[in-house]
This record gives sequence, structure tokens and C-alpha cells, in this order.
Amino acid sequence: MNDLHGILFAYRSNSNLGELTRPRNTCSLPFGGRYRLVDFMLSNYVNAGITDVGLIVHESYQSLLDHVGSGKDWELSRKHGGLRILPPFGYVGKGGGEYRGSMEALSGVYSYLQNIRQDYVILAWGDVAVNLPVAQIFQQHLDTGSDITLVCTPNYCGTSGNCEYVTLDQNGQVNDLAIHPSTGVGLESLEVYIMSKDRLLEIVEYCTTHNIYSFSRGVLQPHLHELKIMPYIHQGYVARFPSVSGYFNNSMDLLKPEVRADLFNPDRPIRTKDQSNPSTYYGPDAVSRQSLVADGCYIEGEVENSILFRGVTVEAGAKVSNSVLMQGTVVKAGASLSYVIADKSVKINENRSLMGHSTYPLAIAKDSIV
Amino acid sequence: MKKEVVAMLLAGGQGSRLYALTSHVAKPAVPFGGKYRIIDFPLSNCVNSGIDTVGVLTQYRPLELNSYIGNGQPWDLDRSDGGVHILPPYMREGDQGTWYKGTANAIYQNIGFLDLYDPDYVVILSGDHIYKMDYSDMVAQHKKTEAACTISVLEVTLEEATRFGIMNAHPDGQVYEFEEKPKHPKSTLASMGIYVFTWSKLREYLIADEADPNSSNDFGKNIIPNMLAAGEKLMTYRFSGYWKDVGTIDSLWDANMDLLAPRSGINLYDPSWPIYARSPIKPPHITGPNAVVSHSLVTGGSQVDGRVENSVLFHSVTVEEGAHVEYSILMPGAVVKAGATVSYAIVAENAVVEADARVGAPPNADPKWGIAVVASGVTIGEKATVSPSAMIRTDVKGGEQA
Repeated sequence: MNDLHGILFAYRSNSNLGELTRPRNTCSLPFGGRYRLVDFMLSNYVNAGITDVGLIVHESYQSLLDHVGSGKDWELSRKHGGLRILPPFGYVGKGGGEYRGSMEALSGVYSYLQNIRQDYVILAWGDVAVNLPVAQIFQQHLDTGSDITLVCTPNYCGTSGNCEYVTLDQNGQVNDLAIHPSTGVGLESLEVYIMSKDRLLEIVEYCTTHNIYSFSRGVLQPHLHELKIMPYIHQGYVARFPSVSGYFNNSMDLLKPEVRADLFNPDRPIRTKDQSNPSTYYGPDAVSRQSLVADGCYIEGEVENSILFRGVTVEAGAKVSNSVLMQGTVVKAGASLSYVIADKSVKINENRSLMGHSTYPLAIAKDSIV
Repeated sequence: MKKEVVAMLLAGGQGSRLYALTSHVAKPAVPFGGKYRIIDFPLSNCVNSGIDTVGVLTQYRPLELNSYIGNGQPWDLDRSDGGVHILPPYMREGDQGTWYKGTANAIYQNIGFLDLYDPDYVVILSGDHIYKMDYSDMVAQHKKTEAACTISVLEVTLEEATRFGIMNAHPDGQVYEFEEKPKHPKSTLASMGIYVFTWSKLREYLIADEADPNSSNDFGKNIIPNMLAAGEKLMTYRFSGYWKDVGTIDSLWDANMDLLAPRSGINLYDPSWPIYARSPIKPPHITGPNAVVSHSLVTGGSQVDGRVENSVLFHSVTVEEGAHVEYSILMPGAVVKAGATVSYAIVAENAVVEADARVGAPPNADPKWGIAVVASGVTIGEKATVSPSAMIRTDVKGGEQA
């Protein structure tokens, strides 16, 4: 299947994530022991046979560039097509900051859109952890002859004030869209859309000339009844990251076998940057229970109910429970952590004791020394 | 384009002393150390030493090795100038062409490949050793001493010396005699099978050796003795550090266990000399609520719910709750089901040990005791028993003993 082009929005940052997104935008937030959020949607695209992907970035995208590189870990380093990173070169900031909406982002890369080789385009955000059967969604789009296919979920995973909800008529077609309501009604939209390239160009052109920058508010809502918008209802696991405690809860979800089986479905593997880490070493007195542990860790202490990213060190006598330790974190001998999220390369010195709470996990900024 | 140094990696050996482990793959492709295959060590050493052109000579069961090496990308050897080249034996006009008859003949048959790069020096490596070594340092010594051949040597005990090719050398390192597996060794400098040759010299000796119908076309047996006899300057290069031949079941098991001993001398966590590997796409490993994991290596995609001690687990291994694995090596995709015990054993790729089965046993007084091996894809049935030192190549039915 090669008739689908992937557009991935990777510029949204969420200030509620505090320390975790200070050095990066939400799409490059580490998640699940070895991934960045953008890996999920990028892998979904690649697993559906998509060969050309445009990654739209705006601010603080250095960590994202580092991560995706040439795209070779997603098989997207190609002579023809492949991964194209689209920085805001052509954008004369009307909003004075990040893009005000996805339509503004798309009008900034209009010439790229014109040169798309495929007849259809999928658009999605890179800050959601989900394993979507994109090939199946595309097939449904073709079979139903919809103008737009919109992916949604019956399992609410965001906070209603930040999400969009759709309701369906008796034909199963979308007949209402609510943006950021106080309580969600119907299905939660994942803001993943498939439409033809021609329709996309038409919409972007219209929005550019009418100063419309939001797709949902400016296109979907006013034209709901003129367009045939069909939902694709995804029953599987979806994680969104509205806050630090949301991030923590999503991480803990990964300790459930059914969540892992869905998100890490071996038929649609989630790819990420390869780092050539050795296997994880457990010392003679190590304990590891109910934990997700990436390669390259060196564990001599105790780890329970936790997520450890690549290259984490837990020295003898240290205790880590209910925590998320990102890449390169070092927990020195005798230290004890509970309900802690340690960002990359944090160092916890000897005998320190840090404790958050399940409702308020303690997030420690990148490179901090405690 | 001209290259100063080209490495040639001899990877065609069957490794018959690894028995069932090499019935489907060449020895260099045998999995090692949780994440690697044996060939990752010489390949990574090349890249870390600044050698960007490597010929890999294959012959026995090359398919898996070929696909593993692929375009060389995991080792940064995907280059438009140089890079990694798979070199199988090939036919020439007039129905000419043979299998590689020996290590020297393998290089002889690829004189054309080497001439493409017109190197000053050729490094000859083999694909059955675990070690970290900076070949550029050895090449530098070779250049400085203006030797025709430099042989990397390791100090061994007098007892071990009877199993190696031994270099008898003057104090300055110049070799005056070479003895293959001497009964009464005169020195304890063992050849590691790593050579640096001045290419123009080696080229001459290879052509002369090929013309000799009585030659076995081997570096150790023919080329080195011939060069010595002709008065060429042969120098030793002293290596000290971890080096292990993993050509037997026992030594392969030992070398894996060495990774668990921080003082064994091999450290894979040292960022200054990384060992690269082609890694499958796998999520992090999982330890279950009742898992016990101690003194072990565990790799991505694995799920441990049982007890794992003193063992090396490759990717995608399953150890179910109530299973017990000790002093063992579980290669990619191996499954140990509930209640089964695996002790002092090597369970190869995708082999399954069914519930309550028993594979191997701790060392005992029996002189025939040894490491048990279950070949790839084999199923050991429920409640079956596999004795120590058994070599299991076909399925064992439930309840049976093998």
C-alpha cells in the first residue's frame, strides 16, 4: 500500500508537563522504557507501508531532530521520498509563537503538500501513544467513500477541556463535533484524519485565504453537514499526556500485560532510535519485580513496579519503587525512590530518599543532581 | 579507491565442535552475550580501530550470516567507498573455481577484491573469538618495525600452550620459530589467529603457496612457516586483555558466564569501545510480580515470571512463573514453561521446554557431566528429562528421558 502519505504534527508542547517538557516538545517526551512519543505514530505510518512522511516541527525541536535523524530506524531514509522534516521556514509568525493551529502549520508547508506523490494523506499528532492499524483505517476510508475519516476512541484518555468529541447519526456518520467541552460526550477524537490530497490542498488553500488556522473549528465544524465524515472507532489502548500525573499513570499502565500486548503488538512493532546497548545486567543481590526494564541497565539494587529506560544504573542497596527513571539515570547506593519520575541523566546521590505520591509524583528535571 | 588497511574476516568455518548450535548457521553467526553474535566482536573492533573496509569470507551455511550483516549499517559499515563485503567462493571462466580449501586459499581467491583497494596492509581476522582489540595499534607497530607479518600473541600457561600455535621470539619480539601445538612448548606466547601482513609480501606468498600442490593452504601450517623459512621479518604483537576462543560448547558457555563476572576482564558497558549488533525491534523486557532475577543478563522483548539466576537471556525469551533457570544460556525466542527447570544448559533459538520438564543438572561426580544443549526449534515435552551433556537435535516427547 503506497497510496497514502503521512503528515505528522510534532510541534505541540504542553506546559502542564512541567519539568518533563522544558527541554523538548511533547512529541519527544520519553515513554515506555525506550521510546519517544513520536515513535508511536511514526511506526504506525511505517507499519502501514507508508514510505513518505512529512514531520512538521516548530519550536524546541532539537531533541526531536536528534531522535529521528535521517529516519533510518523507521526505514524512512530513502533516495526517493522517506522522512522529510518541515521546519517553519516559510512561516511568518502571525501568532508570534508556535503555530496557532494545524491549518496554519499546513499553509506554512503548502509547496511540500503540492508535491506529495500519493493520492491520499493521513494527518496525525505525534504526542499520542497508540498502536493504530493505519492500513485498515485507510481501507475503511476507501470502502466507505468518505470525504474525511476521523479516528476516535470510546475509551476517554484525555482531559475533556483539551479534547474533541464526536457524536454519530443513525448511519454512523459524524454529525456533531464538540471542542474542549467541560465533559466529554460520545467518542473522543484522536485528531487523526485521512482524506484525499486534492481535498487537503483545497482546504488548506481556503484556510490560508480566509485566515482560518484551526482545522476542527474552521473546517470540520462549519462543514460537518456538507462533508461525509466517517469515524474509525479504535478499541485499543490510547495514552495521552495532559499532566505529570497523567504521564505517570500511563507509564504504570504499561505494567499491565493486556496494555503491552496491544501497544507493543509484534505484528506492528514500535520502532525507535537504535543505540546498540548491551543487555541489562542484574547483580547477585538484585531484585526486579513487576517492572519494565530496557536494555543497557546495570541493576544491583531493588526495582519494583517501575519503568527503567536504557542505561539506568541502580546501585547495590538502592531501592526504586513505583517510579519512572529515564535514560542514564543513576541511583547511588542506599538511595530510595518512590513515586518519582527522573528525567534523563538525573543523578540521585547516596542515601537520598525521595518520595512523591501516586496522585502527585515527583518529577526531577533533566541532568539534576540530588 | 586505495585504502591503507583492509581487514579480511574468515567466517567460513563450520564450527563443528559447537555441534547442534552450528547445524543451521556458521560459527560466527552463533548468538553470544544476550545481544550479539560472535562476529560482532571482530566487526566492531574493526570499526572502532578506524578500519572501514572489511571482507567477510563465507562458505558454510552463509544465509543467516549474510542477512545478519546485510549492508553493514549497524556497524557503520554501509559506505559508498569501502564498507563490508560478503565474499563467497565463486566460479571463474572455463569452469574454474573451488570451495575455499584453507584459510590462505580463501584470501588467495580474493586477491582480486584486495587489489580493488590496493591496500598497504591487510589484517586477517577470524570469526570465533570474543575480545576487544585496537587493530590500529597493531598496524602501527607493524609499520614501525617494518615487518612482513605481525602476529598477535597472548601469554598462556605452559599447560595451555600445548593447544595453541606457539611463537618462539627474541626479546625484541622477532619470531625465530613457530610450533603448532607443541608437546614441549619452549615459550608461552600463543598466536591468537590475528595477523597483519604487508599486502605486497602476502600476495607473493599466497601465489607461491597456491602453486604448491602439497600445501594445505593454511596460514598457520603454510604461509607463516614459509615466510619464516625465507627469512622474512615476523614480529609478535603482545596483547593483554580478555580473549576467548568460543569454538566449543564449554568455552562458549564459559565466555557467556564471564559477562556476569565484573572481574573477568570483558566489559560491554564501556562507552569508549562499544560492541555493535543488529538488534531486532523489541520493547523493554518485563519482570513479573513474582519474578526473581539475579546475577543475570536480560534482553528486550523477554518476559521473566519465574526464577532466573546466573544466566544469560537473549531477546524474546519467556520464563514462566514457577520455572527455574540457573547457569544457563537462553537464546532468542527460547521458552521455559511453568514448573520446568533448566540448569547448566544452552537452549538455542526458539526451542521450547514444556511444563515440568528438566534440562541439564548441576555439576556432579559423573565424569560424563557437561553442559546440556537443546538445538534451535526443538521442543522438550512435558515432564521430559534431558541429561547433562546431552545434545538434543530432535523433539523429546513428554515424559521421556534423553
